Amino acid sequence: MSFDAKMHVADGAATLRLVGELDRRSAPRLNELIVQAAARQVNRLVLLMDELRYMSSAGLRCLVFAHQKMPRGVEIVLIGTRPEVAETIRLTGFDRSITMEDSVETG
Amino acid sequence: MIACRLRLHANGEVSRPIADFVGALSRKAELTPRQSYRLRLAVDEIATNVALHGYTGAYGVVDLEGGIDDERVWVRIEDDAPAFDPRTHDPGPRLAAPPARREAGGLGLYLALRNVDAFTYDRVGGRNRNTLVILRTLPDGDTGD
Repeated sequence: MSFDAKMHVADGAATLRLVGELDRRSAPRLNELIVQAAARQVNRLVLLMDELRYMSSAGLRCLVFAHQKMPRGVEIVLIGTRPEVAETIRLTGFDRSITMEDSVETG
Repeated sequence: MIACRLRLHANGEVSRPIADFVGALSRKAELTPRQSYRLRLAVDEIATNVALHGYTGAYGVVDLEGGIDDERVWVRIEDDAPAFDPRTHDPGPRLAAPPARREAGGLGLYLALRNVDAFTYDRVGGRNRNTLVILRTLPDGDTGD
């Protein structure tokens, strides 16, 4: 089970591309990057989700962590989330505090 | 029927063997990708909860059995942890709190119960038995994509 995440910071946004499967084992890697993003004084945290194939509740804990670590007022945006992963996010109400956009092009 | 035994260690890592187990069962049952995803997520969350809270991170065994009949696919998860019925877990307070002010955790069992078509819990021979069911027939209008 593989997971990879890379961060790119530009124009006031920290963009993280998530690839693979986000579960209890891989969640600490994402949390590390969230901490790094929080230190960069950005105003948007963008997660590119189109290559994230699986997300358990460990991924939801990462979203809580992101809310807690990012300074107040930083917008959290998820782009291109696959339907099954999006269903988990909506089912647990995280779409109330996160902007979900369909594709990289429209984002 | 297919079966496997997970021997859990302190890190509670169960996702990989569960993905393989549910993947094999799903292929045999010809579940749609969405049905297979829902079943995997539910089994993963129940087993992870057993590892972290049932066995509190200590060594323990979780037995998985899976079966297929005309109408449904089922997975039975058994463990030797203290008695616990996942249906007694109330996610209400966490769901009601704004996501930004939530405690981390506590939503895995909710996800498990919401992603299956039927769920039963029994205490049998001193073991917890959780049975998760996915119906093979799709509701009208659901293409399974």
